[in-house]
Amino acid sequence: MNSRRIMISNRIFRLIHTNGTLWQATNKSLLAKLRKKTGYTFTNCKKALELHENNLEKAEQWLNEQAQNLGWSKAAKLQGRPTAQGLIAVIVNKAHGALVEINCETDFVARNKQFHKLTETVALAVLKYTTSLTGNDLVNKALLDSEALNALSAPDGKLLADHSALTIGSVGENLAIKRALCMSVQPGVTLAGYSHPASIHPASPALGRYGTLLALKGAENNELLPNQLCQHIIGMNPLKIGDPQVDQPMANIDDETTLIYQEYLLDPTLNVQQVLIDAQAQVLDFARFEMGEIIDTSQSLDSVETCG
Amino acid sequence: MTVLKNVCRMILNTKTVQFKLYTRQSYSLYNLQRLANLNNSVNSRFCSNKVKTEEPICNVGTLGHVDHGKTTLTAAITKVIAEEDKTCEYVSYDQIDKAPEEKARGITINIAHVGYRTKARRYAHTDCPGHADFIKNMISGASQMDGAILLVAATDGVMPQTREHLLLAKQVGVKYFVVFINKADVADQEVLELVEIETRELLCDFGFDGINIPVIYGSALLALRGDTSEYGVPSVKKLLDAIDTYIPTPTRDYTSPFLLPIDNAFSVPGRGTVVVGTIKRGIVKKNMDANLLGFDESINTTISDIHIFKKSVTEAVAGENVGVLLRGIKIDRIRKGMLVCKAKSMMASNHYEAQIYLLSSSEGGRHRPMRPTGYCQPLYSTTWNVLCRLDLMLPEGTNMLMPGEHVTTKLTLLRSMPMMEGQSFTIRENKCTVATGMVTKILPPINVDKRKLNKAILPDTQ
Repeated sequence: MNSRRIMISNRIFRLIHTNGTLWQATNKSLLAKLRKKTGYTFTNCKKALELHENNLEKAEQWLNEQAQNLGWSKAAKLQGRPTAQGLIAVIVNKAHGALVEINCETDFVARNKQFHKLTETVALAVLKYTTSLTGNDLVNKALLDSEALNALSAPDGKLLADHSALTIGSVGENLAIKRALCMSVQPGVTLAGYSHPASIHPASPALGRYGTLLALKGAENNELLPNQLCQHIIGMNPLKIGDPQVDQPMANIDDETTLIYQEYLLDPTLNVQQVLIDAQAQVLDFARFEMGEIIDTSQSLDSVETCG
Repeated sequence: MTVLKNVCRMILNTKTVQFKLYTRQSYSLYNLQRLANLNNSVNSRFCSNKVKTEEPICNVGTLGHVDHGKTTLTAAITKVIAEEDKTCEYVSYDQIDKAPEEKARGITINIAHVGYRTKARRYAHTDCPGHADFIKNMISGASQMDGAILLVAATDGVMPQTREHLLLAKQVGVKYFVVFINKADVADQEVLELVEIETRELLCDFGFDGINIPVIYGSALLALRGDTSEYGVPSVKKLLDAIDTYIPTPTRDYTSPFLLPIDNAFSVPGRGTVVVGTIKRGIVKKNMDANLLGFDESINTTISDIHIFKKSVTEAVAGENVGVLLRGIKIDRIRKGMLVCKAKSMMASNHYEAQIYLLSSSEGGRHRPMRPTGYCQPLYSTTWNVLCRLDLMLPEGTNMLMPGEHVTTKLTLLRSMPMMEGQSFTIRENKCTVATGMVTKILPPINVDKRKLNKAILPDTQ
């Protein structure tokens, strides 16, 4: 901290002496101040000061007003660039839950606080939308695509598309709110969510590269089981729950994609069905998101490639 | 001697004389050759006892925001160098951008590598596209960074995610930075200075030497176009000079106690057992006391003789391939993968801390996650393999390691093996490589029941 202060004062001092005119020095320190305060790019801060004759307050106000437009123009410029990185957010509030995938270009941005904030905003908006859904089934599900998501409004009233554009403007990378899943359950059904890797801060929503929502009946007092089953779903990637009367287990247990016949992740000596029977519980539904997975297309060839 | 020297000069100067010499003075010529041979052998022996004069190599990486011109700068560097040094090749923007998909050792390397040479040394230049990608490649040993170029565009300044770039640098142990403020041609002087202050401050915040780090203003695009104004080609030259002088060359370690991993061993009738290998660090001298370590064994011995290319020498230094005669050791006690080190300088352990990367299924790895404890599979490193148990040190709340992720882990080997910090290894399961790793810490050996390695409960693990 100390070195920083000395550095700045040195700089300004030097500038006054070399440039001679006080006006420029003020101008420059104002520019530094404005940039530090708002975080907008140097080009824009400079423009703001020029437009408002070095009035700091007005310049800041103008920048904040312009931010949305600047974000949109940046977003338009970056549109079409691939977004292969990102995060999955999981949020559960009693009977309602949401899974959200948001993409960005590099995983540096995926680790950035501003991106986390956007993810949080989107997750909360989707959760709010979930509570407004009505349905009479034990478990109600709805999938939202990118278009529908962008048209949702955030808790502060702005559209999610606007929030996304604002973040694009500040981090300078293309972002995409890719998909979301809403799940709500009737009383008597437990709803659980889990993300992997688990968030370091026990914040809501949980952010990770994988996320899952699980609706479970029975085992109301068992706090561990829903969580562990969620981990199992992320790790073992089952494609369906399975019905013991209809489905048959696969010959090779390693290839099993039916949840109830899979080896239980936390205890390989049991299968999931045995675990559920022991706990007197029943899985009603589940959803699993993996960051960057290709949706609604046939399985790509390289995922079936085997090693020699 | 003077006659011979004159002859030599004549040979070099004129072909006609050379012809005459071949016919008339063939005897002297023969002598000359012998002399030259002798000189060569003297030289090579002399050199072997000194630090080798091979061209030093330095690994640099570019860090920075996607739009700030990392690829353009890399292209500009190769162009500027190629124009001065014809042995270097210009790598265009498109070539760097398209390079990514290359596969080596079963691991996809998503990092573009570009090589070039300055007057001082050779460079391996890496562009890192992401945090996870770089960590993965570092653990697998595919890339490393001795220093980094931090790229900031003057028009934008430091971006919010630059903190994450520096975090990566810190994590992989980069100590030296050179800052290149790009797009200087479209910003004015005062903005440039502000960007510089901002960058220096941020570097200080992360504990780097932000005050003394060289900062260069320039424009990669101008340099690529061959512009010779201040921010064009000269700025890239300035950058290269700064890299040459500010980032030190990694050197071989000649001061630590010597270490010689054994690649091969054979017995010489009448003399004893010779082990062959490349000296990893330090200097081996004749008559030194040494330990032979590995596979639960620690045997005392003495270096009776050292051979380099079939010639006996009194000492050999790191980087040299040597044969070493060990006193009083029977060949059947030596196994490939053991190591000779200076007496009492090192202890073999069965317990280590390491970073591992679990290969994703598209890289030929597992498609199921790894459980945190009790996973036992053979670990392969250098020329040996030993059964190993992994105990993952997962972040709190996480209970598994998914394919494609990396983690710090404890290794427990069935037999004590000497391993060094930074030594790489792989873990194989059913003839497939499922994980690669790098030792980060040597832990004191622990006692485990060898018949129940997978059931053992280790101290300090879940």
